[in-house]
Amino acid sequence: MHIANKSVLVITDKFYTKFLNKYKSIIFILLLFQGMSSFAQQSKLEGNVSDTGNKQPLFNATICLLRQKDSVLTRFIRSDHNGNFTINNIAEGDYVLQVYYPSFADFSDKISLNASSPPFKIALRAKSTLLADITLVSKLAAIRLKGDTLEYKADSFKLKDGAMVEDLLKRLPGIQVDKDGKITAMGESVQKVLVDGEEFFGDDPTIATKNIQADAIDKVQVFDKKSDQATFTGIDDGVKNKTINLKLKDDKKKGYFGKLELGGGTDDKWSNSLMLNKFKGKSKFSGYGIMSSTGKTGLNWKENGQYGETKNLDYNEDYGYFYSDYEHDDFGGSNYDGEGLPRNWAAGVNYSRKWDDDKQNINGCYLYKKLLTESNSNTYTKYIVDTNSTLNTYENKTTFNNRSRNSLNATYDWMIDSSVSIKLTAKGYADNNESNTSYNKNITNQLNQQVTQSKRTNNINGTSDNYKSSLLIKKKFKKQGRTISFNLDIAGNNTASDNYLYEHDTYYLPTTNDSITDQLKNNHTTTQIITGKIVYTEPLIKKVFMELNYSMNENKNNSEIKSFDKGASGKYDNENSLYSNHYQFDVFTNSGGVTLKYSGKKTSFYFGSNIANTHFTQEDLVTTNTTERYYFNLFPKAGFSHKFSQFKGININYNGSTKQPTITQIQPLRNNNDQLTIMIGNPLLQQEFKHNINLNYNSYKVMSESNIYLYSGGTITSNAIVTNNTTLVDSGKTTIQYTNVNGNYNAYGGMGYYCKIKKLDIRCSSGIDFNASRYISFVNSKKNITDNYTPGLRLWIGKEKEKKYNISYGCRLNYNISASSLQPGINNNYWTQVHNFDMNITLPWKLEINQEIEYTIRQKTALYNKNNNVVLWNAYIGRKILKDNKGMIKLSANDLLNQNIGYNRYVNNSTITENNYQTIARYFQVSFLWNFSKTPGSK
Amino acid sequence: MKTLKFIVIVILFCPLFSYSQAIFIESGKIEFEKKVNLLNQIKSEMDNDRDKTWFEMIRKMIPSENISYFDLTFNKGATLYKPGKEYTNSPKPPAWTVGPATENIVYSNYNTQEQVSEKEVFENTFLMKDSIHPVEWKMMNETRNIAGFTCRKAVAKVLDSVYVIAFFTEQIVVTGGPESFGGLPGMILGLAIPKLHTTWYATKVEMKPIKEAEIVAPKKGKKYNFIQLKEQLKQSLKDWGKEGGRNLLQALI
Repeated sequence: MHIANKSVLVITDKFYTKFLNKYKSIIFILLLFQGMSSFAQQSKLEGNVSDTGNKQPLFNATICLLRQKDSVLTRFIRSDHNGNFTINNIAEGDYVLQVYYPSFADFSDKISLNASSPPFKIALRAKSTLLADITLVSKLAAIRLKGDTLEYKADSFKLKDGAMVEDLLKRLPGIQVDKDGKITAMGESVQKVLVDGEEFFGDDPTIATKNIQADAIDKVQVFDKKSDQATFTGIDDGVKNKTINLKLKDDKKKGYFGKLELGGGTDDKWSNSLMLNKFKGKSKFSGYGIMSSTGKTGLNWKENGQYGETKNLDYNEDYGYFYSDYEHDDFGGSNYDGEGLPRNWAAGVNYSRKWDDDKQNINGCYLYKKLLTESNSNTYTKYIVDTNSTLNTYENKTTFNNRSRNSLNATYDWMIDSSVSIKLTAKGYADNNESNTSYNKNITNQLNQQVTQSKRTNNINGTSDNYKSSLLIKKKFKKQGRTISFNLDIAGNNTASDNYLYEHDTYYLPTTNDSITDQLKNNHTTTQIITGKIVYTEPLIKKVFMELNYSMNENKNNSEIKSFDKGASGKYDNENSLYSNHYQFDVFTNSGGVTLKYSGKKTSFYFGSNIANTHFTQEDLVTTNTTERYYFNLFPKAGFSHKFSQFKGININYNGSTKQPTITQIQPLRNNNDQLTIMIGNPLLQQEFKHNINLNYNSYKVMSESNIYLYSGGTITSNAIVTNNTTLVDSGKTTIQYTNVNGNYNAYGGMGYYCKIKKLDIRCSSGIDFNASRYISFVNSKKNITDNYTPGLRLWIGKEKEKKYNISYGCRLNYNISASSLQPGINNNYWTQVHNFDMNITLPWKLEINQEIEYTIRQKTALYNKNNNVVLWNAYIGRKILKDNKGMIKLSANDLLNQNIGYNRYVNNSTITENNYQTIARYFQVSFLWNFSKTPGSK
Repeated sequence: MKTLKFIVIVILFCPLFSYSQAIFIESGKIEFEKKVNLLNQIKSEMDNDRDKTWFEMIRKMIPSENISYFDLTFNKGATLYKPGKEYTNSPKPPAWTVGPATENIVYSNYNTQEQVSEKEVFENTFLMKDSIHPVEWKMMNETRNIAGFTCRKAVAKVLDSVYVIAFFTEQIVVTGGPESFGGLPGMILGLAIPKLHTTWYATKVEMKPIKEAEIVAPKKGKKYNFIQLKEQLKQSLKDWGKEGGRNLLQALI
């Protein structure tokens, strides 16, 4: 550090003194620039080290000079072959001289160095000659251990009830607490008090000591900064001062956090919710309640992690991310899809507890949901019936829907030891559904002649019960990479419904005639699935693993549908056998396979295949007609991944999979829920086979904050299950049956770039993507190939200044191309554009303004000829209130311009559809938000 | 292979003999095992109770320690510290817990007091050239046996506020150590940085002649000195909160 400076300025001590006297003032100024430590008299240290035993000089002995006040090592040197040493240019002062030599007792002495210090003669004694001193050394070491952690067991100090940590500290030897609460430990002032190693209470230690009850404390630990305890406890010891850590008793680790939202608005809009997470020791309770008519029907992703069911995550070590399996749930997380006006009530409680050193863990969850939706929609559909004829359908639909669910989940984990673990899960739900729907349908042909008019109501009352339980046992063997796991799943579903159908159809061609259907349908479906699977992995050679698996799966489906016509008595008692059926469809699969996996530091790949034997048993329980079919399939899979660096990698995967037809597709039943659209199951349907391939490339530059990614993939389906429509031109009646076809595929791809323009502190991203698909189906026995292509482009730019503003603009452009081989003349290609402008500004007086504008432009076409451009503008102004800004009063407006419409366009198969539906439009709301919490240990 | 297997070649040099002259090591190779306590690291970077809920969910899935190995080749005038044998943690730790500069190559020349380090910091490779930074080591009266050597403890504060604990042995006369650390009257065989939840401990010490050609400075990367690198990294990592602080420190030591 200053060594270089000193050697330039100071040649010898004598010269230095002379020089200094002569040019004192100049030197003084010079020295100010050089640093104050040079402004001292210089001296040198010289001496000799020898062994007292045989009077030999010691070579390579270590001579250290420490500053006396803080033991900082100032200089060191090794002795030469004669045991001599010299250190020049040392500032005069008080030092500790230490001399070491392996297997010799250390020499340590306080010395004062000045220009006239004599040479030191140091004689070291071999430890072997110092038997008596050994006890002394260890005793000394014990005293020196004062530098390490001091730990007090709190329970051994008797205190009065309700005593605080401060009272406890006053009782501990070596610790003093003054009247202001200032703590001194071993004579040094304590600046930080940690609770369980965490800094809950900021920098004021009295907050912790005055607010935590003494009986919550297990241990008080006093760290000296000289302690290396930190290394092993991981407690941040980078602070200069003495630190006290309060170790809480397990059962006193309690606290809670939560949030409350109350909102009421115009147009009968309300949104209220309360969420709470309370923890105590190793148990956690969370719960929530939501009631809303603004579309919030459940917890969002973030809330779910804090207040919802404790989900078990899985870890993908190759890519380093966590995930939890998403189970498709028709009631869904958000379950309101935007159609209609919703009103909903939801409540959930969750309890989890760990014990046995966290080896055992139980978690239970109960949820209740109820959702009422009213909606009204208009749908226009163009049917391509033949190469030269089309039908136009206009349908108005009014629905009232009432759904509710009670669900119960439980999981139990047990890590028996480090190699064996067991996991049991059980979940189930019971649903009630009620829906009343009425339809008005009008069909015209391409000559604009009215073909059919239809009025229909469907009133459905149903229940659905579902359960799933599974057992998973995993064992790791001593040999790294050798594992075995066993998995058993049992699941089932039971649905029953009564469906009242009333339909009045009027056909106009060639002459007017009426048809009335008035039926009650009893539907009853049960499904039972049992799956057992064993997986064994074995390391073959270094980095190469083999995985063997075997599984058995039994899937039983039973579907009974009975239709009754209304009899003369007014009761539904005439069974209509045309629309009734009872069918059993069982699939039994045996599958076994092998996969080889290479897992290197940068490159990994795998390949393998399963062989499966699938057995279909289909029995018509009315005619007792049974068919059996066998399939033999290969399920190849392969994958490759390479990491160019920690944040740059590529991967490619391929697999083959099958998909069995559903019982609805296979059951030989005429389903006449809509007399104009009759579905007939096809018992001859084959299973589908899909080849799936995907590729991903990702490169993330952390420091420049930019990211490039590329993805692509596709599926080719052989024996795809598609529809075969027969439409009668003079009535518009359509019969849909399922059949198999080859040639369907879909493909997707895209790339994107994200970056930050550092100079302007602006973030931007852009991307292109592409979707293509081919769907082959049959229309009046003619093959119809529908091709869809959708190229897209998106841009986004945003600037954020924390706690000041956040502003962004984004847009998305898509061009939709579709072509049908039956009528290549129809041009229905169009642009869609969506522009988003979002802004959030923090104003003085704790005010905050937020707005989101979404402008959607949909190009008109010959078929989609209505104006469907919408500016959706949502905004709020809020003011933060309460301590720490934990509350907010908010005035918000949804759809300020009252332009929101529900809208869908789609082209598939032989239809082109446009759909408008009722949705939440303009309303204003006042709401109050409050985030509350209590930290562990506080009163 | 969690337990350390100390391969003690050192017994030969241990002071069991009655002659007064001990054997001192001037050249050879040391293998260091670097361990990062990931669970404590993640815990210390959590901001609130909500993060803790998440931590509880992931704690069983990730390895509690991230282990890697480094070799330090040394002769009297210079040392070269670089990644050693390959070791696969099982399961592999997520990238965000690992951070930058985990495969540094550090060349220290004690004659010229110069240090050259190659550091891979995310997508950039830096070649830092600077003089060896002086460290104010405070000597402690504590010893510990590491890889068969009696080591003395010294502590210091580096980069303004980072507390470092070192165990060095005077039997190796070179004043080096893992990463950029050194400046003690002997070789550092054990090093701990509590703030990074990281320790380096020698697991193997070989005494053997090392040719000059085996200790050469790295050459790859954009050239920076310490101050420039610090400023550059500070600028890039300023929005990263606690993780950025850790990343900065990891890249600068």
